[in-house]
Amino acid sequence: MNKAKYFAAETWASLRKNIILAVAAIAVVAVSLGILGLVVMGWNMFSNMIKNAERKVGEVDIYLSDLTSAEELQTIEAFLVSIPEVDAKSVYYKSKDEALAEFKERFKDQPELWEYIDENPLPNSYELMTKDPKDVGMVVGRIGNEAPYRERIEDIKSASSAIEKLENIFDKFRQIGIVAVISLAIIAILLVSVTIQVAIFARRREVGIMKLVGATNWFIRWPFILEGILEGLVGSFIAILVALSVKVWILDKLMENLHFLRLSLSSGLLLVLIPCILVGGVIIGALGSAYSLGRFLEV
Amino acid sequence: MYKGNVYALEDITLDIEKGEFAFLVGPSGSGKTTFIKLLIKEEEPTSGQIYIADANINQLRKWKVPYLRRKIGCVFQDFKLLPHKTVFQNVAYAMEVTGKSHRLIEQQVPEVLKLVGLGHKLDAFPDELSGGEQQRVAIARAFINRPPILLADEPTGNVDPSLGAGIVRLLEKINSTGTTVIVATHDKAIVDNFRKRVIALENGRIIRDQDRGVYGYE
Repeated sequence: MNKAKYFAAETWASLRKNIILAVAAIAVVAVSLGILGLVVMGWNMFSNMIKNAERKVGEVDIYLSDLTSAEELQTIEAFLVSIPEVDAKSVYYKSKDEALAEFKERFKDQPELWEYIDENPLPNSYELMTKDPKDVGMVVGRIGNEAPYRERIEDIKSASSAIEKLENIFDKFRQIGIVAVISLAIIAILLVSVTIQVAIFARRREVGIMKLVGATNWFIRWPFILEGILEGLVGSFIAILVALSVKVWILDKLMENLHFLRLSLSSGLLLVLIPCILVGGVIIGALGSAYSLGRFLEV
Repeated sequence: MYKGNVYALEDITLDIEKGEFAFLVGPSGSGKTTFIKLLIKEEEPTSGQIYIADANINQLRKWKVPYLRRKIGCVFQDFKLLPHKTVFQNVAYAMEVTGKSHRLIEQQVPEVLKLVGLGHKLDAFPDELSGGEQQRVAIARAFINRPPILLADEPTGNVDPSLGAGIVRLLEKINSTGTTVIVATHDKAIVDNFRKRVIALENGRIIRDQDRGVYGYE
């Protein structure tokens, strides 16, 4: 208890004395973790967008002739479910009545499009998703070549190959995102360590004196480490504030105004991101100072 | 010990008994400071053994060095006061590292500072003090934990000659409580006045070791 009070007092005094360096260290933590937070949020938004796009990309629609009998339907459905690349649960039979209802719903603002239709022109169809969007082309080919009662299948529709290319680009984006996050974390640790090293270098004589008076390494280390942790904590608080305000003022607005892009943040993301930034700040501060001290304790 | 074949100390064999008061004399560069640095393990000997209280300190584990240093009060030639701490805090630091209670520190530090004549400067910072005052803070810090051994490197080097005798008298007083005191100095007047054991060094070698001796150089 006595010691804790002493270390706290030492830390406070040292922070006040080296206020400029402390501010520098805090700024470094804030900037690096802030950017890290933004990158993670942006990354998450992108990957959600990709996932939405993929959901569409993986979709295959099979339009059937009105002459198809119930047995034929069953056989075709069994075939579709049996294709290994097809997500069996996604195979869905959409009757022509359902298709018309959907059509009416989608164009309810333009009733002239459907008001005067006597007979339902829409076909019965199967809708299915591939497990992996990359397999769409293959699945389409297989249905076209191997399906039973192929004469009953009037058309097969899937997302175009242009979207597949987009998917490849997104894949690259994802890899770049991982690299960016890792490099930022390393840069943050290095910068904090350098900043704290400067602070300690300015006080190497003091550290030497402390050792000569009989202080153990840990007795000397604790105030410095607490200082690093405190700087890391303050820095990460600022980073969180920055990340949150960017989310509220920019990202939320983007999602509202560009909803056709289906931008979204995963719901639990902030609950994970905020503690991660805090813990990251503490670790960066503590490691930065402990590492920087090592060299000056050899007296 | 240093570059080339020049040794700061060579072929030193001597015993200093518990409770003794010894002057270590010699011109600058004769090895006095190195002698003291060896005792607190600020330097390591290239060869030879050093025993303190029958323990070979060459074999002392690294993590035990701080505990050795707490048993040896040292007044450094350049004082080595912590510049950002007040007089009180500087002396208190030596107690804090040993984990002494706040209450004990509050009580003993002013007492010892009064003993060295600085009872009125507790809150001053080192750069606000004269050389002699800083020297006395250094002595107070070296003595605050009542170490069995007290080393003083040129404790009168930075003070007015009239104060020098006062400082050595203080060290003598400390010696009378049973502390072994070793004073490195090239202050002839002091050594001649106090008539203690004199160990004379020249070019890193002992050239004379006599009880109740005088400085002896001209």
